[in-house]
Amino acid sequence: GKAAQPKPAFTDEAVQTLLYKMTGLDLHKVFRPVKKGLKPPHYKLMTEAQLEEATRKAIEEAKTKLIMPPVLNEREPIDDILAEDKVLEGTETAKYVFTDLSYSIPHRERFIVVREPNGVLRKATWEERDRMIQIFFPKEGRRVIPPTLFKDENLGTVFQQDRHEDVLNMCIAQFEPDSPDYIRVHHRTYEDIEKHGKYDLLRSTRHFGGMVWYLLNRKKTDGLLIDMINRDLLDDATSLITLYHMLHPECQSAKQAKEQKLQGVDLIKVFVKTESQREGYIQLALQAYEEAMATSSAS
Amino acid sequence: AFSAGSRLLRGHGGHVVIRFALGGCTNRPFFRIVAANSRRARDGKYLEQLGCLDPLPNAHGEKVAGLNLERLRYWLGCGAQLSRPAEKLLGLAGFLPLHPMTVTGAERLRRRRQREKQPEAAPEDGSAEPGTGT
Repeated sequence: GKAAQPKPAFTDEAVQTLLYKMTGLDLHKVFRPVKKGLKPPHYKLMTEAQLEEATRKAIEEAKTKLIMPPVLNEREPIDDILAEDKVLEGTETAKYVFTDLSYSIPHRERFIVVREPNGVLRKATWEERDRMIQIFFPKEGRRVIPPTLFKDENLGTVFQQDRHEDVLNMCIAQFEPDSPDYIRVHHRTYEDIEKHGKYDLLRSTRHFGGMVWYLLNRKKTDGLLIDMINRDLLDDATSLITLYHMLHPECQSAKQAKEQKLQGVDLIKVFVKTESQREGYIQLALQAYEEAMATSSAS
Repeated sequence: AFSAGSRLLRGHGGHVVIRFALGGCTNRPFFRIVAANSRRARDGKYLEQLGCLDPLPNAHGEKVAGLNLERLRYWLGCGAQLSRPAEKLLGLAGFLPLHPMTVTGAERLRRRRQREKQPEAAPEDGSAEPGTGT
């Protein structure tokens, strides 16, 4: 059976802090120019203290930009019949969709019912709901009919152009977090990144946490680990392994780590020996890192 | 314009009705469900718009209708009356019970279709024998 504590969820504080540390905070990438209206650049003359103040404010703004979008399970399909009126069979040719337009109801609780031509009055399916809500209460960046970009065949083309982040931003604008399309697009993106090792595309964006969570749940963390060691991000590597132990406490390296209370590089070595598939690569990367550390400390 | 409004409201008579106001273009109707004084023009000045109905089916084969149930309940509580098509629509939506004329209309349609099928069936039998149609 499982351990006494329940499996950690995406929203736990400890998990979130670790994921946030791994996301990194590259100001140049977060505040990269977004396509907006053209304005001439604005120059300011500042003292050192003012520059620090401005950097601090920028870091706080960046933190709000890096809030991770929710990771939820797929929603259950709605299948509820409110009334059956056999008398209406054959009178209508098309179905009627009735939406409640009261302003102060949250969209999740809105009544959207469908009267079928055979007389059955049922609740609308999730797709019908999303379409109706977008027709009557349009949200910016969302279309009534989802763009063809999100079909599987077209996603491949976009991935070849390295535009994973744009796809994920559009997906967040278009779909609800628990819709099957949202989850499918996200999983496709993460799979593609993991296959080609393009982890750096999402670093310092708000999608990094979700990607790490996906990889951890499926134990495909080797590529990410190698990438982190190659870029000398040992702290991130240790937090990745800590998260792995939190999610899979019954594995060998988790038990060893708890007994011996390992830290830093030792933790990585224990993990590599027991859990990873690509042991050779990770050992090589670790060796390269240690040599680099030795030469830099010697010089 | 000002005198036209007060001419309507002079004296007694006239009540609030919830009915359909027709809009749109040629061969493209569009109804707004509207609470208005009964003595106003069909498409004229109304008190409040309570929803809409698109009578033509869209690309997904559905006729889209929106109803502001909160404000509808308010006007019904104020003593507004409903026009017959509005009652039928609300009956279809489930907000009110099904209108009896909807049921009657459905039965009449079914009976007419059966009657049309029977003369088709009868001449088929009657072609073999020289029969006289009723």
